[in-house]
Amino acid sequence: MERDAIKAAIIRIFDEKFEIVGPGADDNLRDAYEFDSIDAVELLHEIEILLDTRLTQAEKKNAMEIRTINQIVDYIEALARDRCLATPSGPE
Amino acid sequence: MMSANHGTMMARRVVITGCSAITPIGRTREEIVRHLVDGISGVKKLRDDGLLTSHMHSGVYGTVDYPIAYDFKRSHRKTMGPVSFYACQVAKETLEASGLDQAFITSGRLGVAFGSTHGSPSAQRDIYRTFFTESKQQFAGIGAVDYLKSMVHTTAVNITKMFGITGRVISSSTACTTSSQSIGFGYETVKFGMQDAMLCGGADEYDTTTVAVFDNLLACSTEFNATPHLTPRPFDVSRDGLVVGEGAGAVLLEEYEHAKKRGARILGEVIGFSCNNNGGDLILPNIHGITKTIALALDVAAIDPGQVDFISAHATATKMGDVIEAQAIGSLYGDGPVVTGLKSYMGHTMGSCGAIEAIITLYVMEAGFIPPTLNLDEVDERCAMIRHAVHLLEQPIRIAAVQNFAFGGVNTCFILKKFDG
Repeated sequence: MERDAIKAAIIRIFDEKFEIVGPGADDNLRDAYEFDSIDAVELLHEIEILLDTRLTQAEKKNAMEIRTINQIVDYIEALARDRCLATPSGPE
Repeated sequence: MMSANHGTMMARRVVITGCSAITPIGRTREEIVRHLVDGISGVKKLRDDGLLTSHMHSGVYGTVDYPIAYDFKRSHRKTMGPVSFYACQVAKETLEASGLDQAFITSGRLGVAFGSTHGSPSAQRDIYRTFFTESKQQFAGIGAVDYLKSMVHTTAVNITKMFGITGRVISSSTACTTSSQSIGFGYETVKFGMQDAMLCGGADEYDTTTVAVFDNLLACSTEFNATPHLTPRPFDVSRDGLVVGEGAGAVLLEEYEHAKKRGARILGEVIGFSCNNNGGDLILPNIHGITKTIALALDVAAIDPGQVDFISAHATATKMGDVIEAQAIGSLYGDGPVVTGLKSYMGHTMGSCGAIEAIITLYVMEAGFIPPTLNLDEVDERCAMIRHAVHLLEQPIRIAAVQNFAFGGVNTCFILKKFDG
């Protein structure tokens, strides 16, 4: 999945699921939009659906320090990369 | 008997300085009073839930069928099931009506006593649906907010979150006595100085699970599915059971001197509350338990039975419940106070019924009339020892008792007094 496509998907999720329209790529989501830990857990669920995979507890805990859209995209890119390395034929 | 002052503890006067309701007979004081005066029922055909309704015998429901405009922001909405939308709306309107300022609301001197029968059943169904659905949605199992929407104390804590309330939280969940306990425990909390004000009430959303439970127990009305407005029929010879309903009610209880000092409009005073248990069967009405509850409330209020003008009876229109309640009232009051079964207008709004019936009592206390029990065409002779309201009475109410009894053998009674300074 290309970075631009990931970013577009995340922007769409923020709009549809969290009613946050057009957040800046480096906006602090907590400060600017009251995006809290409950929202973060919901977002992780959406990422699992997006990637058609299941995140480990460690991967979820690592996500809790994420604050911006750019960091979310970085996180998803890393997840996709890890899974491609683990399963060369593609996601499970 | 418990003394009115509960030993040496400080006892302060507790007044009501705000209220709001969502009921099957309307939202505003004017709408509700109009339904009472014109004898208009809020009981409608039970709408299909696509799950349980086709399996049940009862086809009637106390229905909130008008739109409610919520203006809650997403960060508040996200942890709410329908029951918390109801609860937060009446809480919001009650706080606005009370005129309390934001500094007091967040000071820790205001607490919340609010509950529901079992949280949000629709949120719980969503959880179960996840478990039984073959889809990748199962990955995350229960969502982050699903428990917050469904938990038993969801109404109370969504209220605290929305308004920044930092005082104590009481969240009773005792079926039909849920919100009367909220008011009663809130009253005691203010009376004995633990808080200066309590936002109290209860809510229950549209839910067929509760209907199914009572339907299985043969306690629901089934003979009036084609004419919903003719049921329930408290104390009537042809009553055939209760009608489940939905709604919400909130009252703001405040220490009298505090309310007086800030010039608040005082709607009434709570002067007594009692709660006990039958100590036995969890379903059958118990005359000893109910009689003792009523007597205890009168004792706490330090009044004689003859001083009570009006009784809002629990009166669900079940075969034996109404008889036992009438006998209990008759044994203590004789045929003195006028008795009305307010559920005849809107069905049994479950966890919210105590609060809604308290609010309606305040409305009629102010308006100076007593509404009749709807559908009471022929009084069951086993219930005839008390003074039923069979037609509208233009009669002032100075003191009223609100009675509620629940599955589990829980009984409550609180006494309201018209505020006279």
